[in-house]
Amino acid sequence: MPVWFWLVPIASVMALGAAYYFFSVMMKESEGTETMARIALHVRNGALAYLKQQYKIVGIVLGSLTVLFCFLAYGLHVQNPWVPFAFLTGGLFSGLAGFIGMRTATYASARTANAARESLNKGLGVAFRSGAVMGLTVVGLGLLDISIWFFVLTQFYDIDEAQHVVVITTTMLTFGMGAAVQSLFARVGGGIFTKAADVGADLVGKIEAGIPEDDPRNPATIADNVGDNVGDVAGMGADLYESYVGVILASAALGAAAYYSSGTDVQILAVIAPMVIGAIGALLSIVGVFFVRTKEGATQKDLLGSLGRGVNGAAVLIAVLSLGVLWLMDMPNMWGLWLALMIGLLTGIAIGQAAEYFTSESYKPTKTIAAASKTGPATVIIAGVGSGMLSVAVPVIAVVLGTTLAYYFGSGFVYSTDTMNLGLYGIGMAAVGMLSTLGITLATDAYGPIADNAGGNAEMAGLPPEVRQRTDALDSLGNTTAATGKGFAIGSAALTGMALLASYIEEVKIGISHVLERGSDFVFPDGTTLAAGAIDELQSLDLMQMMTYFEVVLINPKVIVSMFTGAMLAFAFSGITMNAVGRAAGQMVDEVRRQFREIPGIMSGETDPDYARCVHISTKAAQREMMMPAILALAAPVIVGLIFGVPGVLGLLIGAMVAGFSLSMFQANAGGAWDNAKKYIEQGNHGGKGSEAHKAAVIGDTVGDPFKDTSGPGLNILVKLMSMESIVIAGVTVAVHLV
Amino acid sequence: MTTNFYLSLIPEALIASMLTPEEFGLYYAIGNAKRSRGQAVFFSIDTDRLPEGAFDLSTVAERCVPHGDGAPKRSVYIAIYRVLERIPREAITALHLATDDGRVLTLEPTEYAPGATGWSHLYQEFCPVSPRVVSTLDPAGFTRFITDQEQPVHVPRIVFAELTLGALAQNPAAGAADDLPYPNVGHLRDCLIELADGGGKPTKTVLRQMTQEVLFRTVSGGFYVGDSTGITTFALPTLDALEREHYAWWRSAQSTFGQ
Repeated sequence: MPVWFWLVPIASVMALGAAYYFFSVMMKESEGTETMARIALHVRNGALAYLKQQYKIVGIVLGSLTVLFCFLAYGLHVQNPWVPFAFLTGGLFSGLAGFIGMRTATYASARTANAARESLNKGLGVAFRSGAVMGLTVVGLGLLDISIWFFVLTQFYDIDEAQHVVVITTTMLTFGMGAAVQSLFARVGGGIFTKAADVGADLVGKIEAGIPEDDPRNPATIADNVGDNVGDVAGMGADLYESYVGVILASAALGAAAYYSSGTDVQILAVIAPMVIGAIGALLSIVGVFFVRTKEGATQKDLLGSLGRGVNGAAVLIAVLSLGVLWLMDMPNMWGLWLALMIGLLTGIAIGQAAEYFTSESYKPTKTIAAASKTGPATVIIAGVGSGMLSVAVPVIAVVLGTTLAYYFGSGFVYSTDTMNLGLYGIGMAAVGMLSTLGITLATDAYGPIADNAGGNAEMAGLPPEVRQRTDALDSLGNTTAATGKGFAIGSAALTGMALLASYIEEVKIGISHVLERGSDFVFPDGTTLAAGAIDELQSLDLMQMMTYFEVVLINPKVIVSMFTGAMLAFAFSGITMNAVGRAAGQMVDEVRRQFREIPGIMSGETDPDYARCVHISTKAAQREMMMPAILALAAPVIVGLIFGVPGVLGLLIGAMVAGFSLSMFQANAGGAWDNAKKYIEQGNHGGKGSEAHKAAVIGDTVGDPFKDTSGPGLNILVKLMSMESIVIAGVTVAVHLV
Repeated sequence: MTTNFYLSLIPEALIASMLTPEEFGLYYAIGNAKRSRGQAVFFSIDTDRLPEGAFDLSTVAERCVPHGDGAPKRSVYIAIYRVLERIPREAITALHLATDDGRVLTLEPTEYAPGATGWSHLYQEFCPVSPRVVSTLDPAGFTRFITDQEQPVHVPRIVFAELTLGALAQNPAAGAADDLPYPNVGHLRDCLIELADGGGKPTKTVLRQMTQEVLFRTVSGGFYVGDSTGITTFALPTLDALEREHYAWWRSAQSTFGQ
């Protein structure tokens, strides 16, 4: 085991230790007045109640799939025997990351509001360091899971040495599927919960009843605050845990394949390099957290600058240190790999900046949408859809340029069959670069809902205007950082998706090797035959040969129809989740109306509404509605694989990735722009609150809510889950398919 | 339980009630439960200062009694037609502004003090008629003009509020109007230009009647009750006072969707 590997568990423990430290410091802060503590308790209990329900369902799904994988591995022998357990730990760690983040956030909101009573800097400190708990927990648990499995498999998995590293890395990839299943439920379920509560609270509370935002008389207001935590914190934590480990593991698998012929020592270095970069990024994220502070009376620009110091400081340090580490590791093509890492970082920044440009009220696109509200809701919708579609161009071009450059840096500027694996490894390293400082970028992302809840707590508790101004400033900053964070998440999903396609081929090879080991010949679709036991011949096949033998060419109808199917799935998934939000919001609307009608004294403030009932309705709706999208995501690769085999699966993944990435970007940016266009009007522009323009903008925002917080983020996971699942079931696809 | 008397402006009515102004505003805005919604503007009336025989109050003691379960009687209508003209300014003791979710702000009457105002004003009349007009007259001048019995068109008494005109107040032709929350701002601009062009007309109707609730945040200065004998002002608190002392009302007033 190379000594560099040990940096990974060390960084993992340090990240988790720092997360615990920040959590302890936050818990020592006061929750403020009795009212503030009571409101926070309502939200905390609601969030916990929801997560219990979600984990019950995910537990059943994870358990069932584990049993299935056990049958495939030990009954049919078409799968690696470690897969069921790796799958299970991925799911558990992903859920744990989301749970810890959400618990922290629900403890932090009242404390942030109370700290804001003292000063803006104190409020920022509590909110940001609480966000850092989740950022560091995600990377800490991710690195821990990777370390444990890498150690266990290298020490205890007894297989042929020639295949050793490749098999280990592709086996580890399967715990990414467990994480993906968990994150799909967390994102989709959380997204449905939060938007059902949000839309229900807005439609009845604000528009029908004329109650202000976060008013305790609104029965859905606690559910709305709970939603911020289960959707934006727990869902995002599970999502990015999956992205983070997926990126590192996919790159490790590509490294194993790329340096297959360079000897085990080099190969193992290529495998652990992404892990080491992730470990250094985790350590630098801890450092970056301490850079974040501001002065009293800080402007929005000052606040953004203070967060930027933390994020950019960590990014600059990783740029310098990663070069040193690659040099010290004596990595082949050191400069090329370092440049690929930098390209990944820059691509992430470009996507984040584009997201900010297209969603911030400081820039033209959002101002144009706000101006369109003067002529009614129809033009708001048209402007938002148009701007959202245009916004896809920059991230796609960034990903295209980033991928191309990373490929060439990885392959040493040689485009040939021989260097293809090296180029793909470069793409993997770019994705690692993009997420290397996830610890702190995720802290800025998780900070948003904490500040939002702190604002709600300050409003409901009736804190003085200067405190509300401070929490408003913190909340407004969170909206900008959230857009940037989503850009990173979506961008990394695109790069990871491409890396996973190559990993899929490696897993297909392993599936074929199982066939050959059982004493059977293997016949490729083009007629090429590998004789029983011809493992070496199989391992010598490069990617292009595999593509040729499997007839993965665009003219092959199996590929084309599967691409269509993949693209369709992205739209069907969006449609199902959007409709789910609509149905759940309808139930919430009915409940809020019922409470106003049947519970006397709500409006006069003499009686508390039944907050728990609204939380229960959102929970039940999310629980019920999350099943269909999950079934769609899990069933599609199996069905397509069983019918069309490997070419079909690749077509499906490419179709879903291309359509899903663009659609996800469109939805996230259109939804964000509608939201901020409404906020821009609420600042007094175009007539301000209560004007006709405001009414139109509220409609745009309501349409955009499920776009940006349910369907958009869910699509990333759909794409990644299908890729991960395809890898896990590659052995089955190879062994059984109809045509 | 004491009986209070309220002059409601939307609609115009004199009402007896056992509710306090805050309770009455909540009830008037949202009903018994949250089944209706609508802002309310009403005055507290001191019936001792009403002219003899202005209203038949003889049955109030019988009609305005608690319900069987002890709950206070919410409203007993005493008069619904030409009510304001029968109530002298001296009898009006307070103005209450209820937002459409039932938060109530109470304003005390003060003497009218002419301010340094520009040449143009936007007035929303509430009672007895409810057009929105632009005028070159300040509130006192507008009151005199509209209650002047020598004029062919006049009312005996009027309640109105001045609304903000933003940059249009100084420059109707080119002033930025994009951020004004009124419907058909183009027509408002045309009316002001016409007023500026002169011709001796001191007022110009912008809207024939109130079609939407008034956004309280657009009220500039305050509300006025005037007749041929003078004018009473009900000034809105300063922004700082609204933020600090009346936050619940101010927040609600800003959140209204102005039905």
